[in-house]
Amino acid sequence: MNLGEMLLSAWTAIRSNKLRSFLTMLGILIGVSAIITIVALGQGGQAAVIATIESPRLQNTIQILPKETLEPGLPQPDQILSFSDQDFQLARQFSGVEDVYYTLYGQATVASDGRVVNAELDAGPQYLNEIAHFTVVQGRMFTDADVLAHRRVVLLSPSLAEKLFTGAPRVGQTVQIGGQPLQVIGIAAPAQFNLLGSFLGTDYVYMPATTCRDLFPWWSISEMDVEVKPGIDKVDLGNRIVTALNIRVHDSNAFEESTRFYAGLEQTIGQVTRILTLVIGSIAGIALVVGGVGVMNIMLVSVTERTQEIGIRVSLGATQRVILLQFLIESVLITLIGGVLGVLLGVMGSLVLRAVTGLPTTVSGWAIAVSLVFSTFIGLVCGIYPANKAARLNPIDALRYE
Amino acid sequence: MIELSGVTKRYRSGEEWLTVLDDIHLTVAAGEFVSIMGPSGSGKSTLMHILGCLDVPTSGSYRLFGRPIERLSAQELARVRNQEIGFVFQNFHLLPRMTAQKNVELPMMYAGVPRRERHRRALELLGQVGLADRAHHLPNELSGGQKQRVAIARALANRPALLLADEPTGALDSATGQEIIDLFLSLNADGMTVVLITHDPDVARRARRIVRIQDGRLVTGAGEEGRP
Repeated sequence: MNLGEMLLSAWTAIRSNKLRSFLTMLGILIGVSAIITIVALGQGGQAAVIATIESPRLQNTIQILPKETLEPGLPQPDQILSFSDQDFQLARQFSGVEDVYYTLYGQATVASDGRVVNAELDAGPQYLNEIAHFTVVQGRMFTDADVLAHRRVVLLSPSLAEKLFTGAPRVGQTVQIGGQPLQVIGIAAPAQFNLLGSFLGTDYVYMPATTCRDLFPWWSISEMDVEVKPGIDKVDLGNRIVTALNIRVHDSNAFEESTRFYAGLEQTIGQVTRILTLVIGSIAGIALVVGGVGVMNIMLVSVTERTQEIGIRVSLGATQRVILLQFLIESVLITLIGGVLGVLLGVMGSLVLRAVTGLPTTVSGWAIAVSLVFSTFIGLVCGIYPANKAARLNPIDALRYE
Repeated sequence: MIELSGVTKRYRSGEEWLTVLDDIHLTVAAGEFVSIMGPSGSGKSTLMHILGCLDVPTSGSYRLFGRPIERLSAQELARVRNQEIGFVFQNFHLLPRMTAQKNVELPMMYAGVPRRERHRRALELLGQVGLADRAHHLPNELSGGQKQRVAIARALANRPALLLADEPTGALDSATGQEIIDLFLSLNADGMTVVLITHDPDVARRARRIVRIQDGRLVTGAGEEGRP
């Protein structure tokens, strides 16, 4: 009797008792789908967090920060909180520097026609959209020229535009921020998923950094971003700029290059999500083990029920090996089918989760492979005892069994 | 073909040993049709199990085709059951979820006969027992007589030399029982060795030779009181 025939025979046995077979594989199915979904969620979340910290542009960027923002504790009175124009001029003089920019971030009141809305203000260079993760869906982004000329132009997030203006068109309207009129040049949607965004709401205003400084001169520039030319060692350049800033300008060690800080942060986030995934995944793994016990239980019942069948098969010339394999294959087939259905359900679940909540889920082939191997393994482990019991039945007792 | 000498079978029942077969000497030659007759509890089923290599004697020796059965491994015994012996049971013992054809194919599957050959031979055998049009029926769609015919076709699948039948008419009405015995007789006429176990004297009488068993002992040994 070859393997194909045994598979077919096991399949027939599984199909002839559809409801029971389904209920038996349900434990495995639920366990596997839970694992797939949880791992997808964990990996997707991790990738999203890292992408937020490390957008492509930021990878070529050195971020220089006042030391106190990197090292928690009470600020020292002599510490510098804000960069000055002099600092920026100094940094620009280094060769290998592509651009030096800064971003400003704060709360602002946006008013139009008597409506007043509190929003998050994000200001920066003309490529702010790549740093702050938003997409211009209508109108245009502000340009290099807008930044240089301190133009009073803003982009609003869709929800904010909705609150401020009743009808279309919204682009071209005027809003008041800090008592100054600004022209709405575009509508910009923040990236669908943003860890910070989910805490801070969805009302955003984007404008050139220069304009923002004009409106809120008292806001401190707490970060200097130095974009380096391709092929430049950014750590080395960052250290040289920091040293220059500390010694030549401020005569202190007020600033620090933040690459290390971000790398550490990224690692920590990766670690945290990995541990979380592992913990929740192990809980789902328990479901798999419980499912396996269910399979074993049903296989034992099945062996008892089919005692006479086993006797008949032995009388027709089935060897112990064939009987053992018959039940073992049946058990593995049940858990494997449960595993495959669980993978399908898990993939579907993570897609639904992504569609409904916007959480980025990444189903990994690795998780699928491990789930399938593990379900097969459970089928083997939980099938071996019942199968062995079947193979060792005394054929005469088995034939007499009613 | 069959040589039993001094075969004894004992079972342990609590503190006591129960002797089910006691010093059985029996020889069956190829081509014979032998009835083993006895009341229930006489040990005839145990004798049948030993003859069918489903059980081994406690002492004594059983030679089938000249080979001492007690020296064969489990694997070799399975091969003997598969290739050399065909079983027919009182309650048919068809697998309920398989069609008549699949039931007949089963011993060939264990023998490793290719699928196509199996199909062909199963249909041929079902034709032989008059059930060509019932090949795709499940056992519960067949009458008792039809089920027993399927069981006989299955017993013949691997062209065994010996047919062992344990009360093959026990679950059938007497007319159908007669037909089944007729079928055994025609198989015997074609050279098949048949050993039939029964408690029914009318059935036993149709064999060439009757062996009576009582309380685990053969009563008339090689008595020749069957039909001439």
